[in-house]
Amino acid sequence: MSKKRIGKALGEMFKTAMEEPVTVKYPFGAVIVAERFRGKLDVDPIRCTGCGVCEIVCPAGVITMVPVGKRSIGQREIEVKKPVFDLYTCISCGQCVEDCRFGALALTNKFELAVFDKGSLIMKKALKVVQ
Amino acid sequence: MSEEEKERREVGAGLMEYSPENLVPFGPVHPSLKEPEYFKLILEGEKIVEVHPRIGYVHRGIERAAQDRTWVKNIYLFERICGICSFAHSLAYTEGTESLTEFQIPVRAKYLRVLIAELERIHSHLLWLGLVGYWTGFDTLFMWIWKDREHVLDLLEAITGNRVHKSFSTLGGVRKDLTPALVSKLEEETKFITERVKYYETLVHSEETLVSRTRGVGRLTKEIAERLCPVGPLLRCSGIDRDVRKEDPYAAYEFIQPEVKTSNAGDIESLLSIRLAEVTDSCRMISEALDRLPEGPVRVPFPRIIPRGDAFFHVEAPRGELFYFIRSNGTPKPERVKIRTPTLANLLTAAEMLKGRPLADVPVVLTGIDPCFGCMDRVTVIDVDKSKKWSVSGEELRVYGIEYYRRGAGKR
Repeated sequence: MSKKRIGKALGEMFKTAMEEPVTVKYPFGAVIVAERFRGKLDVDPIRCTGCGVCEIVCPAGVITMVPVGKRSIGQREIEVKKPVFDLYTCISCGQCVEDCRFGALALTNKFELAVFDKGSLIMKKALKVVQ
Repeated sequence: MSEEEKERREVGAGLMEYSPENLVPFGPVHPSLKEPEYFKLILEGEKIVEVHPRIGYVHRGIERAAQDRTWVKNIYLFERICGICSFAHSLAYTEGTESLTEFQIPVRAKYLRVLIAELERIHSHLLWLGLVGYWTGFDTLFMWIWKDREHVLDLLEAITGNRVHKSFSTLGGVRKDLTPALVSKLEEETKFITERVKYYETLVHSEETLVSRTRGVGRLTKEIAERLCPVGPLLRCSGIDRDVRKEDPYAAYEFIQPEVKTSNAGDIESLLSIRLAEVTDSCRMISEALDRLPEGPVRVPFPRIIPRGDAFFHVEAPRGELFYFIRSNGTPKPERVKIRTPTLANLLTAAEMLKGRPLADVPVVLTGIDPCFGCMDRVTVIDVDKSKKWSVSGEELRVYGIEYYRRGAGKR
């Protein structure tokens, strides 16, 4: 009985000893993520109209709309706002991507978001383009 | 204060400090991975005579925070209550909220919810089995099982986009659909897991390392179970046939029935076999769901304002019954959400199971209830005979337990 017991685990041991390691030598080897992987948020500044829906739906408070200028429609002058993303609080849930009807937002497959300077994760890409 | 009185107070601290009033503080979020939970064990020599669990160290105020967030934002908030059964939380919340409205959720979405819930059950049970291996000193088993569990996590990432916080279920359906490539991958992996579990089933009942530490350890009788009302596998190992998926079907569980396994042994070994049988059953349910998966949309537009009303909803999380109470006052935000997690229901049963066991069994029995684990970080030991008190960390207790059984003390 006891010989059989040893045999059970031994067979598995030899099998795993012959196999390739399942671990990846990260960061020396690349980690391949799935196609649908929800990583760092990205914005397309040209498509973004500054409607502000993303600010309303974001559960983590990543997005703030800041005024970038004025635009006149007819005789009215309205403030143009664009989003600033504090990506250090982003939870990559993808709610903003889902609710953006202009297709300006997307989640990339980047996941290495550890930085020394928190400020480097503030994305102001959308501010540059003012229509 | 005289020296004598001081000493007496120190010895009695274990019993006096926790009066029934502050023994069960409110804490919906307490049981999670590597989070603090405090057990006061009172010993007579090696034998445990009293166990005083204290909870609430990681009270994060999630229920209050939910009142300030909209219905959709709360999905992501409740998902973060637990890292292991995150989908069970979002499922209970979304289905509960949907029951307040008259919207019909697409059947395909319901099937997909079952699919992810079962995948999550597989990964949670495999995680637990690996941890039992770790706490009993069978580290090889821990590594093998976690290697196989990685397959399930990769599947979850491929389907939902994330390994842990899936954000899959949403109000009105699910957020992603299956592709043919994913379906074939799912079929392949469930076959693989079924085969591996078959091997582990023979291994855990024949391997001396595991058997000596689990057989007859922490016996839970039907009487204790009826008195203390544990949930999930812990209840089923005492011989009571209860499963929310069967008794009150939600999502697509009315079409895909689970086979509820029970055992009368009531020890940790029977928990091992029940959980492994559930993994096999989950694999069967996944392939059944894939076979019957209806065509159609996976999501319907859902309003941002939920009508006034109360909803009670419970789901079978991997650890047992997870309960949600949701109250809406007809605004974009919930008025009140109350959550009861399975570990809260199981904790006192674990304390009862420990009574009469040697100190070395503490890690195994506490892991046995699958308590999301942080519990072991600080345990105070009070020895009634020697009248002294000392603290041990989880790691020290693990080594102590392994050494205790290596000496053959467990066989006495």
